[in-house]
Amino acid sequence: MINPTVVDLSRLQFALTALYHFLFVPLTLGMTFILASMETVYVITGKQIYKDMTQFWGKLFGINFAIGVATGLTMEFEFGTNWSMYSHFVGDVFGTPLAIEGLMAFFMESTFVGLMFFGWDRLSRGAHLAVTFLVALGSNLSALWILIANGFMQDPVGASFDPKTMRMQFRSFGALVFSPDAQAKFVHTTLAGFVTGAMFVMGVSAYYLLRKQHREFAARSFRMAALFGIISSLAVVTLGDALGRLDFLVQPTKLAAMEGIWHTSKPPYAPWKIFAIPDDKTQKDLFNVSIPYVLTPLVAHDFTSPIPGVDALEHSARAKVIKGIKAVVALKAYGTTRNPAALAAFRANESDMGYGFLAQRYAPDQDLSKITVQNLPSIVQKAARDTIPNVFVEFWSFRLMVLLGFVFVVVFAFCAYYSLRNELEKHPLLLKAATWAIPLPVLACEFGWITAENGRQPWTVFGWLPTFQSASSHDVGYMVFSLVGFAFLYSLFIAAELYLMFKFARLGPVQHLTQTPHAPAFVQPALGQPGFTDKSWADNSWQ
Amino acid sequence: MTNIIRILALAAVLALALMLAVVAGDFGPWYFAWLVGTTMIVLISVAGAVLFETQHAAGDTPYEHSAPTET
Ligand code: HEM
Repeated sequence: MINPTVVDLSRLQFALTALYHFLFVPLTLGMTFILASMETVYVITGKQIYKDMTQFWGKLFGINFAIGVATGLTMEFEFGTNWSMYSHFVGDVFGTPLAIEGLMAFFMESTFVGLMFFGWDRLSRGAHLAVTFLVALGSNLSALWILIANGFMQDPVGASFDPKTMRMQFRSFGALVFSPDAQAKFVHTTLAGFVTGAMFVMGVSAYYLLRKQHREFAARSFRMAALFGIISSLAVVTLGDALGRLDFLVQPTKLAAMEGIWHTSKPPYAPWKIFAIPDDKTQKDLFNVSIPYVLTPLVAHDFTSPIPGVDALEHSARAKVIKGIKAVVALKAYGTTRNPAALAAFRANESDMGYGFLAQRYAPDQDLSKITVQNLPSIVQKAARDTIPNVFVEFWSFRLMVLLGFVFVVVFAFCAYYSLRNELEKHPLLLKAATWAIPLPVLACEFGWITAENGRQPWTVFGWLPTFQSASSHDVGYMVFSLVGFAFLYSLFIAAELYLMFKFARLGPVQHLTQTPHAPAFVQPALGQPGFTDKSWADNSWQ
Repeated sequence: MTNIIRILALAAVLALALMLAVVAGDFGPWYFAWLVGTTMIVLISVAGAVLFETQHAAGDTPYEHSAPTET
């Protein structure tokens, strides 16, 4: 018997640990490439200030990296401890990218992070730059593998169900790695990280400029971050559009919830809702403001494809539930008798097996063979309704992410423009906005993650395995104890991160540098063009 | 001799990059876009800093003679 409280607590625990972990990840993804950019300028121009920039921002990156790794570790174990049914069902497929991710994170990333921090006086400039780029590549590649694993949960390709072992069997590594969902997810998420890193560097630099501190250091950091951010934020929007289209193609229930579409309309009428208060119970909006004829071209990229609403999706799910019930009953029979007729019956309905699992919780004693003609309609109805994720949460998490996305484009555009004109200090309001915007990309990332994962419900593996059947069979007390423990521990991590970040950011680069032994102040630039060999930097007068 | 080795090493890197580009372009268009896009983002950011130095050398930044302003 599945205990729904244990399932809910397992979900809460995973959501909590993932949300906490995701507070750190995007900054790591973005900061590494920003550090690599700064060091590239140091190697090209030979100017000490760029080395100091790499080291100072590198220190803030280091704090975030260390705590981020600690929060990520537990999640890998959670799959085994709290989601053992899930791990059994898809372990073959899911375990592969997860293992590669572990190797990338622990071997490649961590080794090169060590070299990056301690190798300044031991490696040549070129070798150190290569190491910094490898750190950037390593951190982003470890994100790649976890997103490939997550891509499989959203759009399970490259595997098929084996009725003999009752598990998903891995069929194609290529299909898994090159799944369109994994690809778009990877690019959208890493770019979201780039935006987060750029906003962080730009915001802290804006803070220095506002206070007229470390101006030369801050102006250069600001310039680099603003340019890094404007391209990244534009690209995030592009990839967001690609992800939305993919959801339309492979996860229509997620798309319907994201856009709050209750009813299917004749294309290209489908209205795009700017604002709405969706009510999941009555499946209506309590209030909405919408523009007709926008959603079809926006999502489908044409004027003729109908965008299925919740009504049509629930209707089509009913047929799937009936087929799914047949599949699961046949599978059970095959499991005990190995009867070829049972196998044939299973094969005929296999593609909808997951919908049969969904119906299980409503069957008498959670046993599908006890379904009768009398109770079938209500079971099918309830299971079909379950296929729609929570529309209110999905609609608003998506809206807030998109809204923030456009806010970032505007902020970066103004910041890049005034930085290129060297007029930043004439616009204190803009500098203030940049400082206050520091946490917003992290927030957008959390909303994005909620959009992706809430929209996947009620499945852990879309269309194959329902979430309520994926959890382990712990007792409630154990789950409450571990949940409270994690919440406490992770809150300590956040407090430590915030304390250290504020402390070192407030201290600024000068204090940082007086604590760090210096290499010679000026080194010969790799490219010796006129203008870049300005030896006035040798005295570090900017400090 | 070292030059020949260097040229051969660079040629190998080039061949590898081309192969990666062809495979990524064929099977993973978004991966390919990421490789090209990330390189571009880094280069634009670097170009911004180099431009800053040029502006600075030409006296177009407000920081020319700025004395240290630490608190
Ligand atoms: C116009 C702007 C944007 C659009 C249209 C958009 C679209 C989307 C969509 C459709 C998803 C769901 C993916 C799925 O189905 O699994 C998503 C996920 C996500 N978004 Fe956005 N997004 C935008 C802006 C942003 C911004 C500005 C950020 C952060 C800086 C961000 C961060 C994320 C993250 C972290 C995820 C979760 C990725 C995953 O694991 O799937 N997005 N976005």
